[in-house]
Amino acid sequence: MTAIAGSRTGLRRATTTRRRLPRQWWAGYLLILPFFVLFAAFGAYPLVFAVQLSFTDWHGSGTLHWIGLSNYTYLLTNSDFWGSLLNSGAMWLLIVPVQTVLAIAVAAALSRSGRWYAKVLRTVTILPYVTPVAAMAQAFILLFDTNFGVTNYILSAIGLPKIGWLTTTFWSKPTIALFILWKSSGFALIIMLAAVQQISREVYEAAAIDGAGPLRTFFSITVPLVRRATAFFVVVSTLGISQMFVEPYILTKGGPYTSSQTSGLYLYNHIGASDLGTGAANSFLLVILVLILSLVSVRLLRSEE
Amino acid sequence: MTGHTHTNQLRGRTLDRRSLLKAAAGLGGLAATSSALLACTPGSSTSQQPLKPQPSPTASGSITLWMRNDDLLKVFKTVIPAFNKVYPKITVDMVGLDIDTKLPPTLISGTAVPDGSFYEDVNIVGQADHLYDLSTLMKPHLADTVQFKLDVNTIDGKLVGIPWDTDPGLLYYREDILSQAGVDPDSLTSYDLLLDAADKIKSKNSKAKPIPLEQDSNLGLQWLMMLVNQQQGAGMVDGEGKLTIDTPATRNALTWIKQVADHGLGARTKFASTGQIAMLDNDTISLVPWAIWFDFLPQSGLKKSVGKWRVTQLPAWKEGGARSGVMGGSSFVIPLKAKNPELAWLFYEFAIYNKTGYSTVYGPNKTYPNGLNTSLPSVKAALNGPALFKPVSQLGNQDLWPVDTKAALAIPPGYRIPPWFNQAANYLGVNMQKMIDGSMSVDDVISKSTEQIQKNLVDRQR
Repeated sequence: MTAIAGSRTGLRRATTTRRRLPRQWWAGYLLILPFFVLFAAFGAYPLVFAVQLSFTDWHGSGTLHWIGLSNYTYLLTNSDFWGSLLNSGAMWLLIVPVQTVLAIAVAAALSRSGRWYAKVLRTVTILPYVTPVAAMAQAFILLFDTNFGVTNYILSAIGLPKIGWLTTTFWSKPTIALFILWKSSGFALIIMLAAVQQISREVYEAAAIDGAGPLRTFFSITVPLVRRATAFFVVVSTLGISQMFVEPYILTKGGPYTSSQTSGLYLYNHIGASDLGTGAANSFLLVILVLILSLVSVRLLRSEE
Repeated sequence: MTGHTHTNQLRGRTLDRRSLLKAAAGLGGLAATSSALLACTPGSSTSQQPLKPQPSPTASGSITLWMRNDDLLKVFKTVIPAFNKVYPKITVDMVGLDIDTKLPPTLISGTAVPDGSFYEDVNIVGQADHLYDLSTLMKPHLADTVQFKLDVNTIDGKLVGIPWDTDPGLLYYREDILSQAGVDPDSLTSYDLLLDAADKIKSKNSKAKPIPLEQDSNLGLQWLMMLVNQQQGAGMVDGEGKLTIDTPATRNALTWIKQVADHGLGARTKFASTGQIAMLDNDTISLVPWAIWFDFLPQSGLKKSVGKWRVTQLPAWKEGGARSGVMGGSSFVIPLKAKNPELAWLFYEFAIYNKTGYSTVYGPNKTYPNGLNTSLPSVKAALNGPALFKPVSQLGNQDLWPVDTKAALAIPPGYRIPPWFNQAANYLGVNMQKMIDGSMSVDDVISKSTEQIQKNLVDRQR
């Protein structure tokens, strides 16, 4: 009797579970539905719309006219587009290698020093990173003004000619690169400091016992062991430089002429002209380029492992 | 145990037919959602209903008007009480924000659209499809409005902006320096004579570079257009939208600019930069052919030279020619998707064409104790009437009103702003900079800019 009752209870429970199963199944979907709705509205829709836009000549009103690959061919045969990519490439060369090496070196020095000034130095380096870019740019413009800047005042005082830091085609890119180095090295330092602090002290002690000096220790131990952090930083920097807009916009507006017009600034010009189709096509060309560059960077660093 | 088995089942689940179907259904759902969203593509045009403003005092409702978030917002807010005396049932909410950044996406998306907005003339044409044609409503005021402002706001035969301010070109000069150099400012009636005056000033002070040559390619382009418009009415395009760069007027203006540069009479600076302020204060710059709004520098930015600046008409390009051109300006627009467009029109009509309205804006107020003198109304009755703003000590208590208004009324008609005006700075603006720096000739600038603008801007318009 008990056995029969027990089996009936079990049967009822199983039946109930089977009946409830579909409801629970859809309840789960219901719970995750808000995410998909938000993703569709703010992720998928803008993306799909931007792809569609890149094949049209839409200027912000009226219906969309399909023009095929015209926007892409226009950009790929336009010297301004390639010029902006070259400017961004030059910025990358001026910023990323210097910033990476400097960040690793400073991180290694700071992590091994227990002295009071190490903390002060850390704060000083990170301070520009947390300061608003517009405020820093204004200070930078004052420092590097051709006629009245402190930098040229010092050059004149030691008998050297004044330099048009932000007003000549030769100097505009290096000067903007210097500003970005000043502004964002704090971020690089945070990444590298975290990576360097992960390296076991025993490795350094073993190297010291083997007679390795500071330089040998740096290049044979610190640099190889922070490779993953370096890869991350290089990829993030590449993404940042491909989208660089604020710094040249505030400092030079892309000038003189178009010598500091980066790919981000060039893209903005299409949007500013309400040429949204070309702007969308430009965005996708940049996405493809950055994707390739990032994959190449990661592959190169991974292959060395 | 049961839980463990269940977990294993989940782990062991493979991509069977049912899962595939579900995934396909999910993707289909996503695509359907995207398609549904695409169906409400932003920017789809709204059919225009004719505006019928109701006469006072029956007009009622509330309106949201966008203004640039600066002193102008404070000034225009002072108009609201006077407006409410005539239209007591209209509530005005004036919001200050970055119009250039916020208005275009709002018009395109069609959400949270204001009932009316301030907008710079140079940007209006790009958004004309989203704006009301105000031709009928403006009819009673056409004869009382300076012609070039109507031309600027007329796009494809539709008047889409209510002209607000006029920014004429003027010649600002240092009275003390001209006096020392023996130059009578009243004698500066031609651009050749202006060049001679700059030479005389330089002969007294070898460090002087009397005329500023703008280094910002966009502002430089606006300056060039002022010099061009002064001669031919049109700027870069005519009423048909055809390029008017390869013209004698552009050649004259560029040739004169090149002479200023080649004779060492030009100061290479950016407007209102630290460098330019220092040059204005230390006697380097003393002759400034620029828009009316240059006068904010003596009133707020300069120190040593305050009180020594004066203003007169621009020189003419030929005898009897116009003594002013246009450099800047803004208007008010009413979006097609505004909830209460008629009420917005009533406010703007009051603020711009009613004597109490324009006197409140330009007359002395808390923000501008001597009145707003960095621009002028576009209403002829106001320009021909008594002075709205007072003389200021920073410009030697000179009576600015007669000089400024004479210039505003002298601006030739026919000025049109193409939708790609700002982008032309990358071509004509940049090429002009190269010419000033000595790497291009006048002819090169004209031919190359025409070709680049035609290919990259004109041909890429719908």
